[in-house]
Amino acid sequence: MAISRRQALIGSAASTATLASGVFRPAIAASEPIRIGYLPALTGPSSSTGIGINRGTELAVKEINDAGGINGRQIELVVRDTQSDPTKAVNAATELTRRHKVHVIWGPLNSGEALAATPLIARDGVPQLHPCWVDQLTDVKKYPLAFRNAPTNQQIGGAANHYVVNIVKAKKVAVISDTTGYGTASLNAYVPMLKTLGAEVVYEGSVESNNPDLKPELLRMQAAGAQAIMPWSVNAGFLSRIINTRAELNWDIPIVGQTTLGSGQTKALLKKPEYWEKVYPNNFRNCSYNAAGALPPRTVEFVERIRKANIEMGDTLLWWIALGYDGPRLMAEAIKAAGSGPEEIAGYWNKIKAWPGVYGSISWTPELHDGFQNEEIVMCQANSLRDGAFTLAPGYTG
Amino acid sequence: MLLSIVSYGLALGAVYALIGITYNVMFAASRVFSFTAGTVGMLGGVFGALCIDRMGMPVALGFLLTLAAGAVLGVITEVLTVRPVLKSLDQHLYVLSTLAFALMLQQLTAIEWSTEPQPFPRLLPFGPGFFDQQFWLPISACVLTIIGLEWLYRRTLVGRAFLAISEDNYAARALGLPEQRLRVASYALAGAIGTLAGFTGGEMMLAYFGNGPLLNFYGFVPVALGGMGSNRGAVAGGLALGLFQQTANFLVGGIFASVAIFVVFILVLLVRPEGFAGAAPARRV
Amino acid sequence: MNDSATLPLPAVQRLKAGSLEAWLPTAMLAIAGAALPLLGDSYLGVIATRAAIYWVLVSGLNLVVGFAGQIAIGWVALLTLGAYVTSVLCAGTVMPELSAYLALLIAGLVGAIFGLIIGLPALRLRTFYFAMTTLGFATIVTQVALAWKSVTGGGVGVPGPVLPWPFASPWGFYYFCLGLALLCTWMTTNIAASRFGRSLVALRDAEVAAEAVGISKPALLVTVFLFSGALAAIAGGLFASLQSYITPDAFTFDLSVLFFIAILIGGRGSILGPLLGTIILTALPEFAAPLVAWSTFLYAVLLLVIVLAVPGGIADMLDFKNRRPLERHREIRPRPELLAHIIPPSAQESLLKLENLSLSFGGVRAIDAVHLTLRTGEVHGLIGPNGSGKTTTLNVISGYYPPQQGQVRLNDKALAAGAAAARANQRIARTFQTPRLVGSASVLENVMIGATTAGRASFVESLLFLPRHRRDEARAQAAAMTALAAVGLDQLAFVRADRLQHSELRFVEIARALVLRPLFLLLDEPAAGLSVEEIKRLGALIVTISRQGTGVLLVEHHADLIFDICDRVTVLNLGKVLASGTPAEIRGHREVINAYLGA
Repeated sequence: MAISRRQALIGSAASTATLASGVFRPAIAASEPIRIGYLPALTGPSSSTGIGINRGTELAVKEINDAGGINGRQIELVVRDTQSDPTKAVNAATELTRRHKVHVIWGPLNSGEALAATPLIARDGVPQLHPCWVDQLTDVKKYPLAFRNAPTNQQIGGAANHYVVNIVKAKKVAVISDTTGYGTASLNAYVPMLKTLGAEVVYEGSVESNNPDLKPELLRMQAAGAQAIMPWSVNAGFLSRIINTRAELNWDIPIVGQTTLGSGQTKALLKKPEYWEKVYPNNFRNCSYNAAGALPPRTVEFVERIRKANIEMGDTLLWWIALGYDGPRLMAEAIKAAGSGPEEIAGYWNKIKAWPGVYGSISWTPELHDGFQNEEIVMCQANSLRDGAFTLAPGYTG
Repeated sequence: MLLSIVSYGLALGAVYALIGITYNVMFAASRVFSFTAGTVGMLGGVFGALCIDRMGMPVALGFLLTLAAGAVLGVITEVLTVRPVLKSLDQHLYVLSTLAFALMLQQLTAIEWSTEPQPFPRLLPFGPGFFDQQFWLPISACVLTIIGLEWLYRRTLVGRAFLAISEDNYAARALGLPEQRLRVASYALAGAIGTLAGFTGGEMMLAYFGNGPLLNFYGFVPVALGGMGSNRGAVAGGLALGLFQQTANFLVGGIFASVAIFVVFILVLLVRPEGFAGAAPARRV
Repeated sequence: MNDSATLPLPAVQRLKAGSLEAWLPTAMLAIAGAALPLLGDSYLGVIATRAAIYWVLVSGLNLVVGFAGQIAIGWVALLTLGAYVTSVLCAGTVMPELSAYLALLIAGLVGAIFGLIIGLPALRLRTFYFAMTTLGFATIVTQVALAWKSVTGGGVGVPGPVLPWPFASPWGFYYFCLGLALLCTWMTTNIAASRFGRSLVALRDAEVAAEAVGISKPALLVTVFLFSGALAAIAGGLFASLQSYITPDAFTFDLSVLFFIAILIGGRGSILGPLLGTIILTALPEFAAPLVAWSTFLYAVLLLVIVLAVPGGIADMLDFKNRRPLERHREIRPRPELLAHIIPPSAQESLLKLENLSLSFGGVRAIDAVHLTLRTGEVHGLIGPNGSGKTTTLNVISGYYPPQQGQVRLNDKALAAGAAAARANQRIARTFQTPRLVGSASVLENVMIGATTAGRASFVESLLFLPRHRRDEARAQAAAMTALAAVGLDQLAFVRADRLQHSELRFVEIARALVLRPLFLLLDEPAAGLSVEEIKRLGALIVTISRQGTGVLLVEHHADLIFDICDRVTVLNLGKVLASGTPAEIRGHREVINAYLGA
C-alpha cells in the first residue's frame, strides 16, 4: 500500500525527532529521578478503568522506590488526570513531554484519548507504553516508540466471537455498543469477524450510554431472533441496563462481551443479583480461577501483596490492578538493563520475550508492538466474582 | 412493544412536564426563565439516592428532605440570581446568572457525587410488575401537582396573590401585596416541584449529574410548545414529547430520535413563537 | 451640504479606529505573541496556540453575543462542523485529498452557512428560547458526527489536518494561528469602530430606537452570523490540527460554555475584554493541575460574580477614562446657529399628511380617523390628555404599527405601513417618550448611530479598513459632533451615555435625530423632566430647526411651550381629533378647555 504524504510526513517527523532527541539530549545526572509521565482518566465517563489501573501502578512504583529505585534513582510519577477528555489529554501529554521532559509515558488509558495523544507523543520522540485496545494505536512505522502491553480489539473480539459461535453455538447474534470511540470501533471490527466465522448478525447498533431505556433495542433483538447478545462498552451503567432489561423481558440468552460486564461497578447497578447469571465477560487466563478454583501461583502471590497493601478489590477488576502493576515494572526493567534514553528503552522492549507479568506474558518484536498473547484471553462467568477474579466460563476447555 | 413505548413515554413525559411546570412557576413569579429548572430536577434524583441509599434513611424521610432541599435551592435561585438582575436595565442578564448558577450546581454534583450514573433506590417494596412503580410514580406526581396547582391558584388567597403579581406587578404592589415574599415562595414551590420530578423519575434516569442539561432542554420543550406560563400546556406538551421520543427511539434509534425532537421543536417555534396555548407578545413601543 | 464645516470646537479626537485605544488589542496580542517563543517552553506554545485558535472563534462569536446581544450558547456546534469538514477533506476518505488551506476555506464557507442556519431563529424567538435552540444544535451536530460513520468515522473519529511546511512544526503552527488571531483582532476592532458595530450594540440595547434610525435587524444579524460562523469553522479546522485526531467526545458542552463566558467576563461591546477573557480561561486550568477538574465550576462562579458585580466585565474594570468625575453643575447651552451646517435647505415645501388613521389594540380604539397635515418649516403641536392617542399616532407615522385604516402620505406617496426601519431613508426622524440610548456607549457613538443610513461602505470594506470605510467614519463623526455642538453637549461627547443626567439624554436623542438631516422631526414629550431654563432653550432650538426647513411634530404636555412656539396645534381626545388650528384658536376653544386645558 502506498504510503500517503501524510504518513510520510509523520514518519519522518517521528524519526527525525527520535534522532534529534538522541543527539541533543543532555547527559542525565546519575541521581536525577526517573520521570514517568502518567495519563490516567481518573474522573469522567470512562474512568472506571483508570481508577482500577491506578491502584496497581501506585503499588508498583512504591515497591520499586522502596527497594532503592532503578539503579539508585527514584521513580517520579508525574500524573495528569485527562478527565476522559481528548482535549485535556493533548494538553497534558504536551506538558509531560515538553515541560517535564519525562523519560517515558504510561498511558493514556482510554482509546479516545490515546488516539489524539499518541501521534503527538511519537512526534516528541518519547517512548510510550499503553494498554488501549483500539487496533490502530500501535504502528511500528508511524509510532516506533509506542508499545502495547494489552490485547488488541481484534484479539479480544476474536476470543469472544469464538466463544459465542463455537462453544455456545449461537447462529444469530446481536451486537450492541455505546457511542464512544472504543465502542464503535469494536462494533465495526467484530461484526465482520462474526460473519467470517459463519454467524448471522441480526442486530447491530450503537446507543448513547446514558439512554435510560434500552428496552426498544432488546425488543428489536428479540424480534430478530438473537441467540446471544454481545455488548461492547466500558460504561457500567450501560452494561447494567442491558442485563437488567434482559431479565425484565424474561429472556434467557447469554450475554457475552466486554470485561466491564463483570466489574463491581456493574454489579452495584443490577436490580437483582441473580440477573448476573449467564453473563460472560472477557477475561485473562492469569486472572481466572481454573476448574479447581485456584489462581495461577504468580497471581496468588500478587493478590497477597495487594491485600497486605490494603488495596480495595471489590469495586473493580483484578486484571486492571494487575495491568497497572505491570506497566511501571516493564519500564523499570528496561531502564535498569539498557538505560533511560528513548532508543535504549525501545531497543530493550523490541527484544522482550515472554516477560512474566501478573496480567499476562508480554512479547515484542521490532515488527510487532502488540505484546499480549492470544491464548491468554478467555471468557469467564461474571457472577463468579470473588476478590476481583472470576471462574472460567462453562464449556471452555481451550 | 406498544406497552413499553406507552408506559415509558408517559412516565418520562410526566417528568418532562413537571420540569416544564417548574419553569412556568418560576416564570409566573418573575417573568424570567431560569436555567436551574432542569438542574433542580437532576438534584432530585441525586439527593434521593444520597439520603436513602448512602445515608440509609427511610424512604419517606428521604423524600421530604429532597423536597425541602429543592425548595431551598429555589429560594437561593431567586435571591442570588434573579432578584439582583430584575432591577437592572439589562433584561437579559437573568439568562446568564441562572446559567452560571445551574453550571455551578452541576459541576459540584459531578465532582462531589460522581461523574457516573449511580443507582437509585427502589422506593416502594413491591416488585417489578406489569405497570411498574417507576412509571406510575412520576405520572401520579404530575397529576397531583397539576391538580394541586389549579386548586392553589383558583381556590386559595395565596394562589391568587401569586397570579396577581405575575399579571400586573405594579397594580399588585399598589394593592399592598408583599411582592418579594410571594416571589420567594413561588420559587421555593418551583424548586420542590423540580426535585419531585427528579425523585419520582429517579429509577428510570438514575442519579446522574448529566441529567441536568438533559432535563433543562427536554423540560423546556413542553413550555415552548405549550405556551409560556401555561401549566396545562406544559403537561400536554410533556406527555406528547415523552411518547414521541419513545416512539422515535423504537423506530429509528436513539441518535435520530434526538435529531427528530429537535427539528420538530424548532419548526414549531418558528411557526408559532408563543407556543400553542401562549399569548401573543405585548406592545413593545 | 457643508461637510467640512470649520467649527470653533474643542480639538476633535482622531477617528476612534485610528486612535491608540482601538489598536491596543491587536498591538498587545502581537507583542505578547511574538515574545512567547523566546521563552523556549514549547508546552506554553501549545497552550498559546490553543488560546489563539479559541480566540479566532470567540472574536467572531463576540459580535454575536457581545455586540448583538444574542445568547448563542451552543456555538461549539460550528467548531465541531469546521473540525470535521477540514479533517475529512484532508483525509481523502470522501473525495480526493485537498490541501489544508483549501479545506480550511471550504470549512469557512460551510461554517458561514450553518452559522446563518443556527442564528436565524434569533430573528423570531425570544432570548431564552433562542439560547435553547443553540444548545439543541450543539447536541445535534455531535449526534450526527457519531451517527454518520462512513464520513466522520463515528466514535472512532478521523485524523486532523496537517498544514504544509513551514507551518507543520509546533512553533510554525503557532505562528500561523497567531497570525490568524491577529487578523481577527484587527478585523473585529474595525467592525467595532464602524457603523456595523454601533448598529449591533444599538440593536442590543435600544432596539426600538435602532429601527427609527434605519438599522435593519435581519440584514445586520444575517451578516454577523455568516461572518461568525465562518470564523468558528476555521477555528474548528485549526483545532483538529492541534489535536491531531478528533473524536466527537472532544467537543464538549464545557467548550461552548468557555467561549460564551470568555465574552461575558471580558465585557460586551469590547474587543480587548473578550481577548483577555479567552486567554485567561484557556490558560487558567493549566497553571494548577488540581484546578483542571474544577475549571468549569470556576468559570461559572466567575460568570456569576461578573453578572452580579461588574456586568461590564473586564472591559469595564479597565475603563479608566469613564471614572474621571464629571463637572457637577453642567448647563445645556444649545447653539442653534450651527443647525445651518446640519440641515440642508430644501428647494420646495414637503407635506406629511395623516389621512383617516385608525388603530385599535384589542378592544380599545387607540386612534380613530385621525387627520393632520405637517408642513416643512412649521412646528405643529399635538396635545391632549393621557391616553388620547398621541404616542400611538407618532408610532404609526414612524412605522411601528400599521394603521388598520387610513394611511400616511409623504408628498402624495403613501408611506409603507409597519416599516419603521424605512423611515430613516425618507428623512423622517423621531425621539422617544423615554430616552432610548445605548448606556454603555459614549454620547458621540450614540449620536453617530444616526448616521448609519448615510454610510456607504460595505461590511467587508469596514472589516478591512478600506478607504471608503474611513471616509464614512470621518463624515459620521463630523456630522455627530456638529449635531452635539448644536444641542450644546459637545463637551460630553466622549462620556458614557449612562452617566448623563436625564435632561441631557433628551438632547442627545435630538442630536441623534438631527444627524439624519430630517425633513420631518417627530418629538415625543421632549420637555418632560426639563427645568424651566432648559425648556426655554429647547424651544429656541426647535424653532430654529423648523426655520431651517424641517417640519416638526411636537407632542407635549407643557402647554406654555406649545403655545409659545407652535405654528399650528392639533388636539386629540379619546383617539379622535377634537380641534385643529392656530395656537390662539385652540387656546380659546371651549371643548379643548373642557377636555384638557382647564380654565
